[in-house]
Amino acid sequence: MTDVRLLVQRFDPFKDEEPRLVEYKVPKREGMTVLDAILYARDYVDHSIALRFSCRQASCGSCGMKINGRPRLACYTQVDELAGEKVVAQPMENFAIIRDLVTDLGSFFEKHAEVVPQLVRSDLQEQEHPTSEYVMKPEELTRVLQFTYCIKCGLCTSSCPTVATDSEFPGPQALAQAYRYTADVRDEGGDGRIAILDTPHGIWRCHFAGSCSYVCPKGVDPALGIQLLKRHVMSGHAPRKAGEGSPTAKAGIPAHGPGSGSSSGG
Amino acid sequence: MAKAAAKNKRGIAGWLNPYHYNAERWAYTFQRVTGVAVLLYVLGHLGDTSFFVGGPTGTGPSASSWAFIGTVFENTFGHTILVLLVLALVFHGVNGIRLVLSEFGLILRKPSAIEFPYKPKALASGQRALIYVGIATAVLSAIWTYLVLFEGMG
Repeated sequence: MTDVRLLVQRFDPFKDEEPRLVEYKVPKREGMTVLDAILYARDYVDHSIALRFSCRQASCGSCGMKINGRPRLACYTQVDELAGEKVVAQPMENFAIIRDLVTDLGSFFEKHAEVVPQLVRSDLQEQEHPTSEYVMKPEELTRVLQFTYCIKCGLCTSSCPTVATDSEFPGPQALAQAYRYTADVRDEGGDGRIAILDTPHGIWRCHFAGSCSYVCPKGVDPALGIQLLKRHVMSGHAPRKAGEGSPTAKAGIPAHGPGSGSSSGG
Repeated sequence: MAKAAAKNKRGIAGWLNPYHYNAERWAYTFQRVTGVAVLLYVLGHLGDTSFFVGGPTGTGPSASSWAFIGTVFENTFGHTILVLLVLALVFHGVNGIRLVLSEFGLILRKPSAIEFPYKPKALASGQRALIYVGIATAVLSAIWTYLVLFEGMG
């Protein structure tokens, strides 16, 4: 049995001046993931290694980290698929380090919340007490479906060069979710989101490096969503007719009242 | 507390190191670098030409300014700078057109149901082809500039 050379970045901001890489020898087995290797090192070599993980099946998004230079999920990356003789695990960039591989995702979730990532109806009474099911056609669902797969792991934000220099930039995760809801035919909150994002530190700070889509383990494709959101702003109109897909539309009643004809596109 | 290390942000180094990433990320880095290079040249160019009110045969600041530019660019070093400038300018322009078209949604694929292994639609072959067109156009333009400046063609 061969050993894996596992290098883990160790850093406690309250004790250490600089991060350092510590090497661990881990017995390799077939199908071993990077998370397996780190957990072996933690369980049998050094109990003080700090990391965050949960589901071990790329569903929870907890174990995002920089592995051999690129943001990846540790549970979704097998040791054998990595080039080179060693595995280097470091915390995700663009997030403050709490300790070792654990980063602070607080601002990440705040930015997610700022884009209003839920269906918004102009009729608050209808929103809180819907009178019937909101209907979508299959093609309308396809327009937003892949963006709903986001597990908020933070890999896209970690890879983004704009986030590296602009702390006010919402980041690819939040922008992709803004598109996801704005392009949803059941939503009527697109204009409010655009007002938040069509700003100096908003969507126009994305320069389409595409690394967010490149590292996303779930096929969310944030870069595509952001460009489509830009198109939505540039076109100046909505991706659908007002009221389309809503219960009121089914009944032939205008959803927004007079002057509500515009809405987004995508 | 080691605040800088704990902040864990790469800053401008994050722009300049596309290693481990996709072709579009490399294009992003080159777009940034060439943009700064062209901007610096344009600022210098504007500053210098502002003295050329009387043309090269004029008197006063224009004549001395023209002569100064001659000493800077009418030599092998200056011509090399101009060849690199054309390389940067053409790549920046062609790649910039790709980005503008993408922002208008004209060269993007539509979202669809995904199958794994998923290839991002934002990074589809059309985007990559346009990046290669930008590189090829820039290299051909630089070769033409070289032939004009160093070999006397045109």
